[in-house]
Amino acid sequence: MNAEARTYQKGEIPGIIGIDADVCKGCDSCKRYCPTGAITGMFGAIHSIDVEKCINCGQCLINCPFGSIYETVDTVDTVIAKLQDKSVTVVGIPAPAVRVAIGEEFGMADGSLVTKEMYGAMRKVGFEILDNNFTADLTIMEEGTEFIVRARHALFGEEAHGHKVGPLPQFTSCCPAWVRYVETKYPSLIPNLSSAKSPQQMAGPLAKTYGALEIWKKPPESIYTVGIMPCTAKKFEASRPEFASAYHFLKKEGKAGSDTPYPDIDTVLTTRDLARLFKKMKIDFTKAGETDGGPLAEYTGAGTIFGNTGGVMEAALRTAYKVLTGNELQPLEFKPVRGMKGVKSASVTLMDTKYGKEVTVNVAVVNGIHGNIEPILEKIMAGTSSYHFIEVMNCPGGCVNGGGQPIKSGGSSWLRAALPLFGWK
Amino acid sequence: MKEERYQYEESPSYVSRREFIAISGIVIAILALPAVWIRSAVVKRNSYIRARLNGLYKDDAGSKVRVSHGNSGVAKLYKDFAGHPLSEVSEELFHTQSYVNRTRI
Repeated sequence: MNAEARTYQKGEIPGIIGIDADVCKGCDSCKRYCPTGAITGMFGAIHSIDVEKCINCGQCLINCPFGSIYETVDTVDTVIAKLQDKSVTVVGIPAPAVRVAIGEEFGMADGSLVTKEMYGAMRKVGFEILDNNFTADLTIMEEGTEFIVRARHALFGEEAHGHKVGPLPQFTSCCPAWVRYVETKYPSLIPNLSSAKSPQQMAGPLAKTYGALEIWKKPPESIYTVGIMPCTAKKFEASRPEFASAYHFLKKEGKAGSDTPYPDIDTVLTTRDLARLFKKMKIDFTKAGETDGGPLAEYTGAGTIFGNTGGVMEAALRTAYKVLTGNELQPLEFKPVRGMKGVKSASVTLMDTKYGKEVTVNVAVVNGIHGNIEPILEKIMAGTSSYHFIEVMNCPGGCVNGGGQPIKSGGSSWLRAALPLFGWK
Repeated sequence: MKEERYQYEESPSYVSRREFIAISGIVIAILALPAVWIRSAVVKRNSYIRARLNGLYKDDAGSKVRVSHGNSGVAKLYKDFAGHPLSEVSEELFHTQSYVNRTRI
């Protein structure tokens, strides 16, 4: 760990990703996946990661042909101890992309949808469930409303009451690697980031306030929130010092139950970590049985596609369309933002019934920020960008291909260097 | 001087022209196999990402409610607790103003 890390606040974990010097062969594969050029070391020499530049996305980790890259934070045993402690209510918060990948760790086909089995296994080891898809829907309500406020401010000069209105284009803020990328490389664009927290960071305070007091009827300080994420950067996000909003909220009402601030999200497990936890606790995932998730596991189709590139945009458009025009979008599928192309853009023309005017919204979806995002950001800073709303996910394909997902040998990286030689793209 | 005479005999293991062409074909085919394997690995290298993408789209298509504003649990949360999007409670719990300029820490 780097003691004098300059780009980290006090309390944050400096660097989630490390390279094992004993295993690294210096093959340079990881460098092609690094969005920020944080990996140093000559070809053939042992590589290392510059924690100041690293945004913790973990793309190098899942694509290392030798498995030499690892996470420096492993809290599986801590979570098992908490699960066995009867005075603690452990709340698991599984992200959308976990339900289509965790089956792979137990020999199921790629992309098997195992929501009910996942709930079953989680219940069996003692988790309460707050599905992150529930807070994904909540994110859409908050972030979508924020976008409408920003757009009406920019187009019609509407003033919002009580808070500052940010500029357009609005960036999504769900991806913690992307947020850190803006904070370290393009700080002048910070006002463009949506003020809405990511679904994980909404789920934390929700569990410790509404969940604790109204649903589970437990004291808030006895709730232990575990984000279950397809992502290594989420471990970093959870450690950001400002994310103790549940404590400060409850403190004002005299319900905090403790004098030391507790974080909104206590710890984060990746998809791989959760699979390891099930294996350690001797749970046969395939035979754990299917259950429902309970009252805070209700989710919609819009919430679940958050894990895909373009999903946040598609979900936001469905709701924004309804709010602005009063009608449901028909058909609900918005195909132009789907698929694995690095940059996808589309225009939607709709009627704002409040002002009785036609509005054209230009949206862009970026996945795999390496090489795709810079031209767009340069245009925005030059003031020549026509986009209003931009979804950015660091990993190619979105969260389903996140740095915390099961590692697939089929995703072998070193072949990519040879492709141009054979004329393949 | 005695004239030396030799008798030539063709080798019994004899490969006809057609056979030679056939054998060459087989050798070339075997040599080309790795290229085919590499190519199929390349074509399939992202198949697991597509499979997961399709898994979530399937989850969406199979959902009874497919729009966030139709989530009755979220509606109940707003009714009982947070009020409405961008309300004071929402701003405090679900929004952040704490993005930091990390070039200046």
